[in-house]
Amino acid sequence: MTNQERKWYTGMLTQEDWWAVWLGLGFFLLGLLSIGGIDVLGWITYPKKWVFSLPEGAVAKKIVTVNHAFYPLGAKYSQTAKDFYKGLGPIGGILMTYLVFTVATSIGAYFMRWDLKKYITGWTIIFFLTYLTWFVGHHAFFSASVVDLKKSHFPEMFTLSLGGGASFILALIVGLVIGNFFKPFAQYLSTAAKPEWFIKTAIVFLGVKVGYLPIKAAATSQKLGHAVAGLTFDLFVAGAAATIVAYMIFWPGVYLISRKIFKLPRATAAVLGSGISICGVSAAVATGGAVRAKPVVSIMVSALVVVWAVIELVILPGFFTHVWPGTGDPLVAGSAMGMSVKTDGADAAAGELLDEFMRAKISAETDGKVVWPEGIITTSAVMTKVWIDMFIGLWAFVLAMIWVYKIDKRPGERVPFSEVWHRFPKFVIGYFVAWFVYLAIFFGPGHAGAADGMAVLKAAKVGAINVEKGMRKLFFMLTFMSLGIITDFAKLKEAQFGKMVWVYFVALFCFIIPVAVLIAYLFHHGMMIPTLGAAG
Amino acid sequence: MGAEEKRKECHSGSLTGDALEAEDVLANAEEWSPVETKLVVWSFAIAVIALIVGLIVVPTSVLH
Repeated sequence: MTNQERKWYTGMLTQEDWWAVWLGLGFFLLGLLSIGGIDVLGWITYPKKWVFSLPEGAVAKKIVTVNHAFYPLGAKYSQTAKDFYKGLGPIGGILMTYLVFTVATSIGAYFMRWDLKKYITGWTIIFFLTYLTWFVGHHAFFSASVVDLKKSHFPEMFTLSLGGGASFILALIVGLVIGNFFKPFAQYLSTAAKPEWFIKTAIVFLGVKVGYLPIKAAATSQKLGHAVAGLTFDLFVAGAAATIVAYMIFWPGVYLISRKIFKLPRATAAVLGSGISICGVSAAVATGGAVRAKPVVSIMVSALVVVWAVIELVILPGFFTHVWPGTGDPLVAGSAMGMSVKTDGADAAAGELLDEFMRAKISAETDGKVVWPEGIITTSAVMTKVWIDMFIGLWAFVLAMIWVYKIDKRPGERVPFSEVWHRFPKFVIGYFVAWFVYLAIFFGPGHAGAADGMAVLKAAKVGAINVEKGMRKLFFMLTFMSLGIITDFAKLKEAQFGKMVWVYFVALFCFIIPVAVLIAYLFHHGMMIPTLGAAG
Repeated sequence: MGAEEKRKECHSGSLTGDALEAEDVLANAEEWSPVETKLVVWSFAIAVIALIVGLIVVPTSVLH
Protein backbone atom coordinates (compact mmCIF):
# COMPACT_ATOMS: atom_id res chain seq x y z
CA MET A 1 0.00 0.00 0.00
CA THR A 2 1.50 3.35 -0.94
CA ASN A 3 1.53 6.41 1.31
CA GLN A 4 -1.22 8.02 -0.76
CA GLU A 5 -3.56 5.04 -0.28
CA ARG A 6 -3.13 4.95 3.49
CA LYS A 7 -5.81 6.61 5.60
CA TRP A 8 -5.32 7.83 9.15
CA TYR A 9 -7.20 4.77 10.42
CA THR A 10 -5.28 2.27 8.29
CA GLY A 11 -4.05 -0.65 10.35
CA MET A 12 -6.46 -0.22 13.25
CA LEU A 13 -7.59 -3.81 12.89
CA THR A 14 -4.47 -5.32 11.42
CA GLN A 15 -1.49 -4.02 13.38
CA GLU A 16 -0.03 -5.30 16.66
CA ASP A 17 0.35 -1.73 17.80
CA TRP A 18 -3.38 -1.09 17.56
CA TRP A 19 -4.30 -4.46 19.01
CA ALA A 20 -2.22 -3.63 22.06
CA VAL A 21 -4.45 -0.55 22.42
CA TRP A 22 -7.69 -2.53 21.97
CA LEU A 23 -6.67 -5.27 24.39
CA GLY A 24 -5.18 -2.88 26.92
CA LEU A 25 -8.02 -0.38 26.88
CA GLY A 26 -10.66 -3.14 26.71
CA PHE A 27 -9.51 -4.61 30.02
CA PHE A 28 -8.90 -1.13 31.41
CA LEU A 29 -12.56 -0.25 30.70
CA LEU A 30 -13.77 -3.51 32.26
CA GLY A 31 -11.63 -2.65 35.30
CA LEU A 32 -13.35 0.74 35.59
CA LEU A 33 -16.68 -1.02 36.13
CA SER A 34 -15.56 -1.72 39.68
CA ILE A 35 -16.36 1.91 40.50
CA GLY A 36 -20.01 0.96 39.94
CA GLY A 37 -19.60 -2.15 42.10
CA ILE A 38 -19.18 -4.57 39.20
CA ASP A 39 -15.99 -6.63 39.47
CA VAL A 40 -15.64 -8.71 36.32
CA LEU A 41 -11.85 -9.15 36.30
CA GLY A 42 -11.18 -10.78 39.67
CA TRP A 43 -10.41 -14.14 38.00
CA ILE A 44 -6.90 -13.05 36.97
CA THR A 45 -4.69 -15.42 38.89
CA TYR A 46 -1.50 -14.28 40.57
CA PRO A 47 1.37 -16.11 42.30
CA LYS A 48 2.61 -15.93 45.88
CA LYS A 49 5.98 -16.88 47.30
CA TRP A 50 5.72 -20.46 48.43
CA VAL A 51 7.42 -23.44 50.05
CA PHE A 52 6.40 -27.10 50.08
CA SER A 53 5.76 -26.99 53.81
CA LEU A 54 6.11 -24.31 56.48
CA PRO A 55 8.91 -24.78 58.99
CA GLU A 56 7.93 -25.04 62.63
CA GLY A 57 6.77 -21.74 64.09
CA ALA A 58 6.35 -20.07 60.68
CA VAL A 59 3.11 -18.37 59.64
CA ALA A 60 1.70 -18.25 56.12
CA LYS A 61 1.96 -14.49 55.62
CA LYS A 62 4.41 -13.41 52.93
CA ILE A 63 5.30 -17.02 52.17
CA VAL A 64 2.61 -19.69 51.85
CA THR A 65 2.44 -23.42 51.24
CA VAL A 66 2.45 -24.83 47.74
CA ASN A 67 -1.33 -25.38 47.55
CA HIS A 68 -1.79 -21.61 47.97
CA ALA A 69 0.88 -20.65 45.45
CA PHE A 70 -1.74 -19.03 43.18
CA TYR A 71 -4.92 -17.12 43.90
CA PRO A 72 -7.45 -15.17 41.83
CA LEU A 73 -6.93 -11.52 42.76
CA GLY A 74 -10.68 -11.12 43.27
CA ALA A 75 -10.49 -13.55 46.17
CA LYS A 76 -8.48 -10.95 48.03
CA TYR A 77 -9.49 -7.59 46.62
CA SER A 78 -13.06 -7.87 45.30
CA GLN A 79 -15.69 -5.90 47.19
CA THR A 80 -18.71 -7.51 45.58
CA ALA A 81 -17.75 -11.00 44.36
CA LYS A 82 -15.07 -12.19 46.78
CA ASP A 83 -16.83 -15.50 47.48
CA PHE A 84 -17.21 -16.29 43.80
CA TYR A 85 -13.51 -15.72 43.10
CA LYS A 86 -12.50 -17.63 46.22
CA GLY A 87 -14.62 -20.51 44.90
CA LEU A 88 -12.66 -20.54 41.65
CA GLY A 89 -9.47 -21.55 43.46
CA PRO A 90 -6.05 -21.47 41.83
CA ILE A 91 -6.74 -24.03 39.09
CA GLY A 92 -10.13 -22.57 38.20
CA GLY A 93 -8.59 -19.10 38.18
CA ILE A 94 -5.75 -20.11 35.86
CA LEU A 95 -8.17 -21.85 33.51
CA MET A 96 -10.43 -18.81 33.43
CA THR A 97 -7.44 -16.55 32.82
CA TYR A 98 -6.41 -18.84 29.96
CA LEU A 99 -9.92 -18.88 28.50
CA VAL A 100 -10.42 -15.11 28.57
CA PHE A 101 -7.00 -14.26 27.14
CA THR A 102 -7.19 -17.02 24.55
CA VAL A 103 -10.42 -15.55 23.23
CA ALA A 104 -9.20 -11.94 23.49
CA THR A 105 -5.83 -12.49 21.81
CA SER A 106 -7.27 -14.87 19.21
CA ILE A 107 -9.63 -12.13 18.05
CA GLY A 108 -6.55 -9.99 17.53
CA ALA A 109 -4.72 -12.83 15.81
CA TYR A 110 -7.71 -13.35 13.51
CA PHE A 111 -7.81 -9.71 12.43
CA MET A 112 -4.04 -9.64 11.99
CA ARG A 113 -4.49 -12.61 9.67
CA TRP A 114 -2.24 -14.96 11.56
CA ASP A 115 -2.67 -18.72 11.24
CA LEU A 116 -5.32 -19.08 13.97
CA LYS A 117 -4.84 -22.80 14.55
CA LYS A 118 -1.10 -22.38 14.97
CA TYR A 119 -1.61 -19.30 17.09
CA ILE A 120 -3.99 -20.97 19.53
CA THR A 121 -1.78 -24.06 19.87
CA GLY A 122 1.35 -21.96 20.31
CA TRP A 123 -0.40 -19.56 22.69
CA THR A 124 -1.67 -22.46 24.81
CA ILE A 125 1.84 -23.90 25.16
CA ILE A 126 3.39 -20.50 25.89
CA PHE A 127 0.63 -19.60 28.36
CA PHE A 128 0.94 -22.75 30.47
CA LEU A 129 4.74 -22.74 30.27
CA THR A 130 4.61 -19.16 31.49
CA TYR A 131 2.40 -20.05 34.45
CA LEU A 132 4.62 -23.03 35.27
CA THR A 133 7.68 -20.77 35.21
CA TRP A 134 5.85 -18.19 37.30
CA PHE A 135 5.13 -20.90 39.83
CA VAL A 136 8.72 -22.17 40.02
CA GLY A 137 10.12 -18.63 40.08
CA HIS A 138 8.06 -17.82 43.16
CA HIS A 139 9.56 -20.60 45.25
CA ALA A 140 10.93 -18.93 48.38
CA PHE A 141 14.47 -19.99 47.52
CA PHE A 142 14.43 -17.78 44.42
CA SER A 143 12.10 -14.99 45.44
CA ALA A 144 11.90 -14.50 49.21
CA SER A 145 13.83 -11.64 50.77
CA VAL A 146 15.12 -11.42 54.34
CA VAL A 147 12.12 -9.23 55.13
CA ASP A 148 9.68 -11.82 53.71
CA LEU A 149 11.31 -14.50 55.84
CA LYS A 150 11.11 -12.31 58.91
CA LYS A 151 7.46 -11.38 58.40
CA SER A 152 6.54 -15.03 57.99
CA HIS A 153 8.60 -15.98 61.07
CA PHE A 154 10.88 -18.24 59.08
CA PRO A 155 14.22 -19.28 60.53
CA GLU A 156 17.27 -17.70 58.92
CA MET A 157 17.98 -19.42 55.61
CA PHE A 158 19.74 -18.65 52.38
CA THR A 159 17.57 -17.33 49.54
CA LEU A 160 18.46 -15.56 46.31
CA SER A 161 16.17 -12.63 47.28
CA LEU A 162 15.28 -11.90 43.65
CA GLY A 163 11.64 -11.05 44.36
CA GLY A 164 9.38 -11.29 41.30
CA GLY A 165 12.49 -10.84 39.16
CA ALA A 166 13.32 -14.52 39.59
CA SER A 167 10.28 -15.50 37.52
CA PHE A 168 11.20 -13.05 34.77
CA ILE A 169 14.74 -14.38 34.54
CA LEU A 170 13.49 -17.94 34.59
CA ALA A 171 10.95 -17.23 31.83
CA LEU A 172 13.71 -15.69 29.74
CA ILE A 173 15.98 -18.68 30.34
CA VAL A 174 13.23 -21.18 29.46
CA GLY A 175 12.46 -19.16 26.32
CA LEU A 176 16.14 -18.96 25.36
CA VAL A 177 16.58 -22.71 25.84
CA ILE A 178 13.63 -23.33 23.51
CA GLY A 179 14.83 -20.69 21.04
CA ASN A 180 18.39 -21.98 20.86
CA PHE A 181 18.21 -25.73 21.54
CA PHE A 182 14.78 -26.70 20.21
CA LYS A 183 14.67 -24.60 17.08
CA PRO A 184 11.90 -26.47 15.22
CA PHE A 185 9.73 -26.16 18.33
CA ALA A 186 10.61 -22.46 18.64
CA GLN A 187 9.70 -22.02 14.98
CA TYR A 188 6.36 -23.69 15.64
CA LEU A 189 5.70 -21.40 18.60
CA SER A 190 6.79 -18.29 16.73
CA THR A 191 3.23 -17.56 15.49
CA ALA A 192 2.22 -16.98 19.10
CA ALA A 193 5.54 -15.75 20.52
CA LYS A 194 4.93 -12.02 20.07
CA PRO A 195 6.98 -10.06 22.61
CA GLU A 196 6.28 -6.70 20.98
CA TRP A 197 2.52 -7.25 21.12
CA PHE A 198 2.57 -8.57 24.66
CA ILE A 199 4.78 -5.79 25.95
CA LYS A 200 2.84 -3.04 24.22
CA THR A 201 -0.30 -4.42 25.84
CA ALA A 202 1.54 -4.58 29.17
CA ILE A 203 2.57 -0.95 28.70
CA VAL A 204 -1.09 0.07 28.32
CA PHE A 205 -1.70 -1.84 31.57
CA LEU A 206 1.24 0.08 32.99
CA GLY A 207 -0.71 3.26 32.24
CA VAL A 208 -3.31 1.96 34.70
CA LYS A 209 -0.49 1.36 37.16
CA VAL A 210 0.89 4.88 36.85
CA GLY A 211 -2.59 6.39 37.30
CA TYR A 212 -3.35 4.04 40.17
CA LEU A 213 -0.11 4.76 42.09
CA PRO A 214 -1.48 7.89 43.82
CA ILE A 215 -4.69 6.01 44.68
CA LYS A 216 -2.65 3.25 46.28
CA ALA A 217 -0.47 5.72 48.12
CA ALA A 218 -3.53 7.66 49.34
CA ALA A 219 -4.64 4.52 51.17
CA THR A 220 -1.59 5.08 53.40
CA SER A 221 -1.98 8.84 53.64
CA GLN A 222 -3.37 11.69 51.55
CA LYS A 223 0.04 13.36 51.64
CA LEU A 224 1.69 10.27 50.16
CA GLY A 225 -0.92 10.15 47.39
CA HIS A 226 -0.04 13.71 46.41
CA ALA A 227 3.68 12.93 46.54
CA VAL A 228 3.31 9.97 44.17
CA ALA A 229 1.07 11.90 41.76
CA GLY A 230 3.69 14.67 41.71
CA LEU A 231 6.50 12.21 41.18
CA THR A 232 4.88 10.60 38.14
CA PHE A 233 4.47 14.06 36.58
CA ASP A 234 8.09 14.88 37.37
CA LEU A 235 9.14 11.67 35.62
CA PHE A 236 7.00 12.62 32.64
CA VAL A 237 8.69 16.02 32.26
CA ALA A 238 12.23 14.88 33.09
CA GLY A 239 11.81 11.88 30.77
CA ALA A 240 10.82 14.15 27.88
CA ALA A 241 13.81 16.45 28.31
CA ALA A 242 16.27 13.59 28.81
CA THR A 243 14.97 11.78 25.75
CA ILE A 244 15.26 14.74 23.39
CA VAL A 245 18.82 15.47 24.53
CA ALA A 246 19.85 11.80 24.50
CA TYR A 247 18.44 11.10 21.10
CA MET A 248 20.01 14.10 19.43
CA ILE A 249 23.37 12.89 20.77
CA PHE A 250 22.82 9.15 20.20
CA TRP A 251 21.85 9.20 16.55
CA PRO A 252 24.67 11.36 15.13
CA GLY A 253 27.13 9.61 17.44
CA VAL A 254 26.24 6.14 16.21
CA TYR A 255 26.07 7.41 12.63
CA LEU A 256 29.59 8.82 12.98
CA ILE A 257 30.91 5.58 14.52
CA SER A 258 29.32 3.54 11.73
CA ARG A 259 30.54 5.77 8.92
CA LYS A 260 33.95 6.95 10.12
CA ILE A 261 35.24 4.00 12.15
CA PHE A 262 33.48 1.04 10.53
CA LYS A 263 33.16 2.53 7.04
CA LEU A 264 29.56 1.50 6.48
CA PRO A 265 27.40 2.85 3.63
CA ARG A 266 25.08 5.77 4.42
CA ALA A 267 21.76 3.90 4.43
CA THR A 268 23.11 1.08 6.58
CA ALA A 269 24.65 3.58 9.00
CA ALA A 270 21.36 5.50 9.21
CA VAL A 271 19.35 2.37 10.00
CA LEU A 272 21.94 1.27 12.55
CA GLY A 273 21.93 4.76 14.03
CA SER A 274 18.19 4.60 14.60
CA GLY A 275 18.16 0.96 15.66
CA ILE A 276 20.85 1.43 18.30
CA SER A 277 19.71 4.88 19.35
CA ILE A 278 15.94 4.76 19.48
CA CYS A 279 13.49 2.02 19.88
CA GLY A 280 15.26 -0.77 18.05
CA VAL A 281 13.03 -2.65 15.71
CA SER A 282 10.36 -0.06 14.93
CA ALA A 283 12.99 2.63 14.48
CA ALA A 284 15.14 0.44 12.24
CA VAL A 285 12.11 -0.41 10.12
CA ALA A 286 10.92 3.20 10.01
CA THR A 287 14.35 4.55 9.11
CA GLY A 288 14.93 1.75 6.61
CA GLY A 289 11.80 2.91 4.84
CA ALA A 290 12.73 6.58 5.11
CA VAL A 291 16.23 6.21 3.66
CA ARG A 292 15.28 3.44 1.27
CA ALA A 293 17.73 0.94 2.74
CA LYS A 294 17.58 -2.61 1.41
CA PRO A 295 15.02 -4.59 3.46
CA VAL A 296 17.74 -6.95 4.67
CA VAL A 297 19.42 -4.08 6.52
CA SER A 298 16.35 -3.45 8.67
CA ILE A 299 15.97 -7.17 9.30
CA MET A 300 19.63 -7.59 10.26
CA VAL A 301 19.55 -4.58 12.57
CA SER A 302 16.26 -5.77 14.08
CA ALA A 303 17.74 -9.19 14.83
CA LEU A 304 20.80 -7.58 16.41
CA VAL A 305 18.62 -5.25 18.43
CA VAL A 306 16.72 -8.18 19.91
CA VAL A 307 19.82 -10.17 20.77
CA TRP A 308 21.67 -7.22 22.31
CA ALA A 309 18.55 -6.13 24.19
CA VAL A 310 18.42 -9.53 25.84
CA ILE A 311 22.09 -9.24 26.81
CA GLU A 312 21.41 -5.77 28.26
CA LEU A 313 18.38 -7.13 30.06
CA VAL A 314 20.54 -9.70 31.80
CA ILE A 315 23.42 -7.33 32.67
CA LEU A 316 22.02 -3.86 33.36
CA PRO A 317 19.41 -4.37 36.15
CA GLY A 318 21.97 -6.11 38.36
CA PHE A 319 24.69 -3.61 37.45
CA PHE A 320 22.52 -0.57 38.15
CA THR A 321 21.29 -2.09 41.42
CA HIS A 322 24.53 -3.39 42.88
CA VAL A 323 27.29 -1.31 41.25
CA TRP A 324 25.99 2.12 40.32
CA PRO A 325 23.80 4.17 40.89
CA GLY A 326 22.24 1.69 43.34
CA THR A 327 19.45 2.52 45.77
CA GLY A 328 20.85 6.04 46.23
CA ASP A 329 19.52 7.11 42.83
CA PRO A 330 16.97 4.51 41.69
CA LEU A 331 15.25 6.79 39.20
CA VAL A 332 18.53 7.66 37.49
CA ALA A 333 18.94 3.93 36.96
CA GLY A 334 15.38 3.53 35.66
CA SER A 335 15.63 6.44 33.29
CA ALA A 336 19.04 5.30 32.00
CA MET A 337 17.55 1.87 31.41
CA GLY A 338 14.82 3.37 29.25
CA MET A 339 17.39 5.15 27.12
CA SER A 340 19.78 2.19 26.86
CA VAL A 341 17.67 -0.89 26.16
CA LYS A 342 16.45 -0.83 22.62
CA THR A 343 13.21 -2.75 22.45
CA ASP A 344 10.01 -1.92 24.29
CA GLY A 345 9.83 -5.48 25.51
CA ALA A 346 13.32 -5.75 26.88
CA ASP A 347 13.26 -2.22 28.28
CA ALA A 348 10.00 -2.58 30.20
CA ALA A 349 11.09 -6.02 31.31
CA ALA A 350 14.50 -4.73 32.42
CA GLY A 351 12.74 -1.86 34.20
CA GLU A 352 10.50 -4.35 35.97
CA LEU A 353 13.51 -6.43 36.94
CA LEU A 354 15.30 -3.33 38.18
CA ASP A 355 12.20 -2.39 40.16
CA GLU A 356 12.16 -5.79 41.85
CA PHE A 357 15.91 -5.75 42.56
CA MET A 358 15.94 -2.20 43.90
CA ARG A 359 12.91 -2.70 46.15
CA ALA A 360 14.33 -5.92 47.52
CA LYS A 361 17.69 -4.21 48.13
CA ILE A 362 16.32 -1.11 49.85
CA SER A 363 14.08 -3.27 52.00
CA ALA A 364 17.03 -5.44 53.03
CA GLU A 365 19.30 -2.41 53.58
CA THR A 366 16.79 -0.75 55.91
CA ASP A 367 15.49 -3.89 57.57
CA GLY A 368 12.05 -3.35 56.02
CA LYS A 369 11.69 0.23 57.23
CA VAL A 370 11.77 1.67 53.70
CA VAL A 371 9.23 0.13 51.33
CA TRP A 372 9.03 1.67 47.88
CA PRO A 373 5.74 1.36 46.00
CA GLU A 374 6.01 -1.20 43.26
CA GLY A 375 6.20 0.10 39.71
CA ILE A 376 7.71 3.58 40.10
CA ILE A 377 11.16 2.48 38.90
CA THR A 378 9.53 0.57 36.04
CA THR A 379 7.62 3.75 35.23
CA SER A 380 10.84 5.76 35.07
CA ALA A 381 12.27 3.22 32.60
CA VAL A 382 9.14 3.13 30.49
CA MET A 383 8.62 6.90 30.56
CA THR A 384 11.85 7.65 28.68
CA LYS A 385 11.07 4.77 26.33
CA VAL A 386 7.61 6.09 25.58
CA TRP A 387 9.06 9.48 24.67
CA ILE A 388 11.65 7.81 22.47
CA ASP A 389 8.87 5.82 20.80
CA MET A 390 6.95 9.00 20.07
CA PHE A 391 10.08 10.46 18.56
CA ILE A 392 10.42 7.66 16.00
CA GLY A 393 7.77 9.02 13.67
CA LEU A 394 9.14 12.54 13.70
CA TRP A 395 12.74 11.38 13.17
CA ALA A 396 11.79 9.01 10.36
CA PHE A 397 10.02 11.96 8.74
CA VAL A 398 13.06 14.25 9.13
CA LEU A 399 15.40 11.58 7.76
CA ALA A 400 13.07 10.86 4.86
CA MET A 401 13.11 14.56 3.94
CA ILE A 402 16.91 14.80 4.22
CA TRP A 403 17.41 11.69 2.14
CA VAL A 404 14.85 12.66 -0.50
CA TYR A 405 15.80 16.33 -0.84
CA LYS A 406 19.49 16.43 0.13
CA ILE A 407 21.22 13.07 -0.17
CA ASP A 408 19.49 11.04 -2.87
CA LYS A 409 17.95 14.17 -4.45
CA ARG A 410 14.92 12.32 -5.85
CA PRO A 411 13.19 14.76 -8.23
CA GLY A 412 9.42 15.07 -7.93
CA GLU A 413 9.21 13.00 -4.76
CA ARG A 414 7.30 14.37 -1.76
CA VAL A 415 7.17 13.19 1.86
CA PRO A 416 3.65 13.62 3.29
CA PHE A 417 3.38 14.81 6.89
CA SER A 418 0.89 11.97 7.51
CA GLU A 419 3.99 9.76 7.63
CA VAL A 420 4.53 11.00 11.19
CA TRP A 421 1.15 9.60 12.24
CA HIS A 422 1.75 6.29 10.48
CA ARG A 423 5.05 5.88 12.30
CA PHE A 424 3.58 6.96 15.64
CA PRO A 425 3.55 4.13 18.23
CA LYS A 426 -0.18 3.79 18.83
CA PHE A 427 0.04 1.82 22.07
CA VAL A 428 1.29 5.04 23.65
CA ILE A 429 -2.26 6.39 23.25
CA GLY A 430 -3.59 3.55 25.39
CA TYR A 431 -0.89 4.17 27.99
CA PHE A 432 -1.76 7.84 28.37
CA VAL A 433 -5.55 7.32 28.29
CA ALA A 434 -5.32 4.74 31.09
CA TRP A 435 -2.98 6.93 33.12
CA PHE A 436 -4.97 10.15 32.80
CA VAL A 437 -8.36 8.52 33.46
CA TYR A 438 -7.17 7.05 36.76
CA LEU A 439 -5.48 10.32 37.61
CA ALA A 440 -8.76 12.13 36.86
CA ILE A 441 -10.55 9.72 39.18
CA PHE A 442 -7.97 10.47 41.90
CA PHE A 443 -8.26 14.24 41.62
CA GLY A 444 -12.00 14.26 40.66
CA PRO A 445 -14.44 11.95 42.48
CA GLY A 446 -11.57 10.68 44.63
CA HIS A 447 -11.07 14.20 46.06
CA ALA A 448 -7.28 13.70 45.86
CA GLY A 449 -7.34 11.14 48.65
CA ALA A 450 -9.49 13.13 51.11
CA ALA A 451 -11.77 11.15 53.43
CA ASP A 452 -14.94 11.84 51.40
CA GLY A 453 -13.36 10.44 48.24
CA MET A 454 -11.96 7.25 49.72
CA ALA A 455 -15.05 5.12 48.93
CA VAL A 456 -14.65 5.85 45.21
CA LEU A 457 -10.89 5.27 45.35
CA LYS A 458 -11.32 1.94 47.13
CA ALA A 459 -13.84 0.83 44.51
CA ALA A 460 -11.52 2.00 41.70
CA LYS A 461 -8.65 0.08 43.30
CA VAL A 462 -10.48 -3.23 42.85
CA GLY A 463 -10.59 -2.95 39.06
CA ALA A 464 -7.21 -1.26 38.74
CA ILE A 465 -5.36 -3.88 40.74
CA ASN A 466 -6.59 -6.71 38.52
CA VAL A 467 -5.21 -4.92 35.48
CA GLU A 468 -2.07 -3.26 36.82
CA LYS A 469 -0.95 -6.16 38.97
CA GLY A 470 -2.37 -9.38 37.56
CA MET A 471 -2.57 -8.66 33.84
CA ARG A 472 0.50 -6.44 33.62
CA LYS A 473 2.72 -9.03 35.32
CA LEU A 474 1.26 -11.85 33.25
CA PHE A 475 1.98 -9.97 30.03
CA PHE A 476 5.50 -9.18 31.23
CA MET A 477 6.01 -12.88 31.87
CA LEU A 478 4.66 -13.71 28.40
CA THR A 479 7.04 -11.12 26.96
CA PHE A 480 10.09 -12.63 28.65
CA MET A 481 9.13 -16.12 27.52
CA SER A 482 8.44 -15.01 23.93
CA LEU A 483 11.55 -12.86 23.76
CA GLY A 484 13.61 -15.90 24.68
CA ILE A 485 11.81 -18.11 22.17
CA ILE A 486 12.50 -15.84 19.21
CA THR A 487 16.10 -15.01 20.19
CA ASP A 488 18.63 -17.08 18.30
CA PHE A 489 22.18 -16.43 19.46
CA ALA A 490 23.53 -18.38 16.51
CA LYS A 491 22.65 -15.40 14.34
CA LEU A 492 25.50 -13.47 15.87
CA LYS A 493 27.88 -16.01 14.45
CA GLU A 494 26.67 -15.61 10.91
CA ALA A 495 29.37 -14.06 8.83
CA GLN A 496 27.43 -11.09 7.55
CA PHE A 497 26.71 -10.00 11.08
CA GLY A 498 30.35 -9.76 12.10
CA LYS A 499 30.89 -6.11 11.38
CA MET A 500 27.47 -5.04 12.63
CA VAL A 501 27.93 -6.92 15.88
CA TRP A 502 31.04 -4.88 16.54
CA VAL A 503 29.43 -1.59 15.55
CA TYR A 504 26.59 -2.39 17.92
CA PHE A 505 28.92 -3.46 20.72
CA VAL A 506 31.14 -0.38 20.48
CA ALA A 507 28.23 2.03 20.08
CA LEU A 508 26.18 0.51 22.88
CA PHE A 509 28.73 -0.04 25.61
CA CYS A 510 31.21 2.76 24.83
CA PHE A 511 28.74 5.43 23.83
CA ILE A 512 25.00 4.88 24.35
CA ILE A 513 24.99 3.49 27.90
CA PRO A 514 27.50 5.99 29.38
CA VAL A 515 25.72 8.93 27.72
CA ALA A 516 22.31 7.59 28.84
CA VAL A 517 23.50 7.32 32.44
CA LEU A 518 24.99 10.82 32.33
CA ILE A 519 21.83 12.39 30.91
CA ALA A 520 19.60 10.43 33.28
CA TYR A 521 21.77 11.76 36.13
CA LEU A 522 21.48 15.36 34.93
CA PHE A 523 17.68 15.21 34.90
CA HIS A 524 16.81 12.67 37.62
CA HIS A 525 19.54 12.93 40.24
CA GLY A 526 18.09 13.31 43.71
CA MET A 527 14.51 12.33 42.79
CA MET A 528 13.39 10.11 45.62
CA ILE A 529 10.63 7.55 45.85
CA PRO A 530 8.23 8.06 48.77
CA THR A 531 8.16 5.11 51.14
CA LEU A 532 5.12 3.13 52.20
CA GLY A 533 7.02 1.77 55.20
CA ALA A 534 7.53 2.93 58.74
CA ALA A 535 10.37 5.22 57.77
CA GLY A 536 8.04 7.37 55.73
CA MET B 1 11.88 -16.34 2.50
CA GLY B 2 10.92 -14.66 -0.76
CA ALA B 3 11.69 -11.04 -1.53
CA GLU B 4 8.06 -9.93 -1.24
CA GLU B 5 7.56 -11.89 1.96
CA LYS B 6 10.73 -10.42 3.37
CA ARG B 7 9.62 -6.91 2.47
CA LYS B 8 6.32 -7.44 4.28
CA GLU B 9 8.15 -8.87 7.28
CA CYS B 10 10.40 -5.86 7.34
CA HIS B 11 7.53 -3.41 7.43
CA SER B 12 5.40 -5.27 9.95
CA GLY B 13 7.40 -3.91 12.87
CA SER B 14 7.05 -7.31 14.44
CA LEU B 15 9.92 -9.19 16.00
CA THR B 16 10.65 -12.42 14.24
CA GLY B 17 13.71 -14.53 13.98
CA ASP B 18 13.41 -15.72 10.41
CA ALA B 19 16.40 -16.65 8.32
CA LEU B 20 18.43 -13.96 6.68
CA GLU B 21 20.05 -13.97 3.33
CA ALA B 22 23.69 -13.03 3.06
CA GLU B 23 23.71 -9.79 1.16
CA ASP B 24 26.47 -7.29 1.01
CA VAL B 25 25.07 -4.17 2.54
CA LEU B 26 28.14 -3.43 4.58
CA ALA B 27 30.62 -2.68 1.81
CA ASN B 28 30.97 0.08 -0.78
CA ALA B 29 30.64 2.98 1.59
CA GLU B 30 30.09 6.29 -0.16
CA GLU B 31 32.43 9.24 0.39
CA TRP B 32 31.54 11.37 3.41
CA SER B 33 29.59 14.34 2.13
CA PRO B 34 29.07 17.87 3.48
CA VAL B 35 25.34 17.11 3.93
CA GLU B 36 26.27 14.44 6.45
CA THR B 37 28.49 16.89 8.30
CA LYS B 38 25.56 19.29 8.49
CA LEU B 39 23.23 16.52 9.70
CA VAL B 40 25.61 15.46 12.47
CA VAL B 41 26.59 18.97 13.55
CA TRP B 42 22.98 20.18 13.62
CA SER B 43 21.91 17.18 15.68
CA PHE B 44 24.63 17.85 18.25
CA ALA B 45 23.81 21.56 18.27
CA ILE B 46 20.11 20.84 18.91
CA ALA B 47 21.14 18.46 21.69
CA VAL B 48 23.25 21.16 23.37
CA ILE B 49 20.42 23.70 23.13
CA ALA B 50 17.87 21.16 24.42
CA LEU B 51 20.24 20.28 27.27
CA ILE B 52 20.67 23.90 28.36
CA VAL B 53 16.95 24.66 28.08
CA GLY B 54 16.06 21.37 29.80
CA LEU B 55 18.43 21.94 32.69
CA ILE B 56 16.95 25.39 33.25
CA VAL B 57 13.28 24.47 32.77
CA VAL B 58 12.95 20.95 34.23
CA PRO B 59 12.45 21.26 38.01
CA THR B 60 14.17 17.95 38.80
CA SER B 61 17.41 18.74 36.93
CA VAL B 62 20.72 19.03 38.78
CA LEU B 63 20.56 22.82 38.42
CA HIS B 64 17.56 22.99 40.79
